[in-house]
Order: sequence, then C-alpha cells, then structure tokens
Amino acid sequence: MDSLTKLWLSTGLANFELGQIVMMLVGCGLLYLAIARSFEPLLLLPMGFGAILTNIPIAGFSEAGGLLHYIYYAGIDTGIFPLIIFMGVGAMTDFGALIANPKTLLLGAAAQFGIFATLFGAIALNYVPGIEFTLKDASAIAIIGGADGPTAIFLASKLAPELLGAIAVAAYSYMALVPIIQPPIMKALTTEEERKIEMKQLRPVTKIEKIIFPLGVLMMTIFFLPSATPLVGMFCLGNLMRESGVVDRLSTTAQNELINITTIFLGLGVGSKLSAEAFLNVETLGILALGAVAFSIGTASGVLMAKTMNKFSKDPINPLIGAAGVSAVPMAARVANKVGLEANPHNFLLMHAMGPNVAGVLGSAVAAGILLALVGG
Amino acid sequence: MDNMQQQFVEAGTLMLAGMVFVFAFLGVLIVFINTVLARLAIKFPDPIVVPHSRANKKSSSKAKGDISPAVVAAISGAVKRYRAQHGQDK
Repeated sequence: MDSLTKLWLSTGLANFELGQIVMMLVGCGLLYLAIARSFEPLLLLPMGFGAILTNIPIAGFSEAGGLLHYIYYAGIDTGIFPLIIFMGVGAMTDFGALIANPKTLLLGAAAQFGIFATLFGAIALNYVPGIEFTLKDASAIAIIGGADGPTAIFLASKLAPELLGAIAVAAYSYMALVPIIQPPIMKALTTEEERKIEMKQLRPVTKIEKIIFPLGVLMMTIFFLPSATPLVGMFCLGNLMRESGVVDRLSTTAQNELINITTIFLGLGVGSKLSAEAFLNVETLGILALGAVAFSIGTASGVLMAKTMNKFSKDPINPLIGAAGVSAVPMAARVANKVGLEANPHNFLLMHAMGPNVAGVLGSAVAAGILLALVGG
Repeated sequence: MDNMQQQFVEAGTLMLAGMVFVFAFLGVLIVFINTVLARLAIKFPDPIVVPHSRANKKSSSKAKGDISPAVVAAISGAVKRYRAQHGQDK
C-alpha cells in the first residue's frame, strides 16, 4: 500500500497545480499559433514547447540541475543567444537600399518614437492596482515597439529578467501580426494620392560601400554609444562577413546553421520563463496591451515622418515606406509594398521600403543602447 | 504620488534624450554615407562588365529553362483558340 501511495505521488496527476495546467494551455496556444497560423513558427514553436516542459510537475526542467535552467543561464541571462542571432540577421541583411537612399535612415529613427512614447504608458499603468513597473521594467517593455525580437530579449534579460517571458511573447506575437496591425494605421494617415506616389529608381551601390558601411556604423557606435556595441557589433560582424565576400562559409553558417541552432535554444530558454507565477498576473496583460500601443505609435510616427519628408524632398517619397521603419524585417517592408500595390498596381515599393526597414534595425539597436546606458546603470 | 510624478519626469527626459540621440546618430550616419561612402564609390567603382553579363545570361537561361513544355503547349493552344475566335468574330 505504501509503495502504491509513493507511486501515485510520483505521477504528474497527483502533483499538478492549476497554474501549471493553465500555462501548459498557454504553451499549446503558442504551438497552435505557430503550426496552424504560421505566426513566427521558428521561435513560437520551441517557445511553446518550452512552456509546456517547464510546467511539468516534479520534472524540474527550470530548477537548478534542469535542462532549461542551464539553457536559460548559459544563453539568455548572459545575452549570448540574442547576440548570436543578431550576427545572423546581420549576415542576412543587405544595406544596399539604405546606402542608395540614406534619407530613409530618418524614417527608421522616427519609428523609434513608439519605444520612447510607450515608456509613459508603462509608468501610467502603475495607477492600475496590482501593477508596479519600475523605470527599468518600463524600458524593457517599451522596446517591444522596436519590433525586433533579439533586441527585446537582450534588453529584457538585462533590465527586467522577471518580465522576459511576457515581453518575448508580446514582441514575437506582434511581429507576426504586422500585416494585420499596420495597414489600417497606414491607410488612416495617408490619402489615396499619397499611396499612389511612385519613387525614383535606386542607384546601384558598389561593393566597397557595402564593405565600409558596417565598419563605419561600428566606429560611430564605439565613439558615441558603447552600450549598444554588443548588439551593433555582432550585427556589423555578420554583415561584414556577408559583404566582404571572402568568408562565404562563415556567412552561410551565421545565417543558416548557427542562427537555427541558437533559435531552438533561445525559444526553449524563453519558454522556460513562462511559469505560472511569472506569467499569470495583471502585469502580463499590461505588457501585451503596451506592446500593441508601442507598435502602433511606431508605425504612425514612421508614416508621419515620411509624409513630412515628402513635402520637403525634391524626389517624391511614398509615405507608406515610413511604416517599415519599425524593424520587423522583411515583413514590414512587404506590408508597405502590398498596401502600395493596392493603391497603384504598378507601384513596387519593396526595395524602397527595405531602406527604412534595415534603418529600423539599427534604430532599435541604438534605442536599446540608450535605454541600457541611461536606465541600466 | 510624488514618486509617480518623478517617474513621469524621468520617462519624459528619457524620451527626449532618446529621440534626440537616435536622430542625431542616424543623422551623422546619413552624412557618413553621403560623404565618405559616396566618394569611395566614385574612386573605386565595381568592375561591373564581366560578372554582370554572366549573371544576366545565367538568369535569362534559367528563366527560359523554367518554362515547361506543358506550359508552352497550353499557351500556344490558347493563342490558337484566341486567333480562331478572333477570326470568327470578325
């Protein structure tokens, strides 16, 4: 009888708590979004599975000695995984469109307003009972507006590790929802005529420009914002490997095998933070709401900046490309192209939108560096 | 309450400083592209001709190769029918 009781007590059924069951359902929800809806499946699938694993009673995946515990502390707490992913993203990024039309950097800068405006929202949420965000928490939440998964995870792991799970879920969910969130805002802020604007063809960019560009960006970051050098440095390394043309093997590895392996572990590590006590609270709802606000403000400010630039620029600028200033590469650029095609079937904005899109990646990395420098110390 | 107000002021300062810095940083980058990179591009242009024509040939031959005989047959069938119809209409 005694051993039977012992056996029963060692089963999952005897040890389940309600919170764990709810979080397993959340994990299943993420798996559903990844598999059935193709929402950022590369990350949401391992993240959803990680959420299920971490909530298994007795197994202790996320306690000292557990697999997810080590994955989290080795790769996310140290910031290594998001940085390796950033290197891969750098190796996949072509700055040609940006170098050909450098003005679009201003669009990438304007879209970062979503990040800084959300800081207010996060502080204002402290009026809601049960929510208590410090300035560090608020900064980590606001970076969701940068629409850049690795940057959000990197900053959250440094400023507010206890909110990391909710922030990562919000960031990747909204990135997947870009085609749904952005078009209504873009249409509301532009006229039919503006959406029809055709832009001048971009000039060809030489190899030497593409090689010197990442080095120049790195140099500027070293001089002006060393706190952003982990992100920008890895990004530039990846980009230089791509553009130099002499280390194709490394470049291919960075943008394929390495980024894939890291994504598996990053997803699992973030999933391990989806425990009931960390996720099932009012703060998570607040983070999800703020993420949507941050995203919308970023999109709107990018479009408004592009409208203003169009008034003063001698070459026409279609305001739709401003929305691509939130990073979310290349989804945001594709959305700008699609909305442009709806207004004018002969207007292909994709290459023009890639400029602000990659500018947004740099912009959000710079914004993250500023938040780290001013709040993180 | 005072604490909240202080936090709002801090958030405001952060927003102002942050946006100014982001614009300044990316603004300097624009200057860098327009001066240094543009000059480099003029001084060291790409040796375009050979690789360019090769790439063109490759892509055009690929594009040709991509059309399967079935598609060609379908298109020529459609053209024939269109011509026949067009002739009847006239």
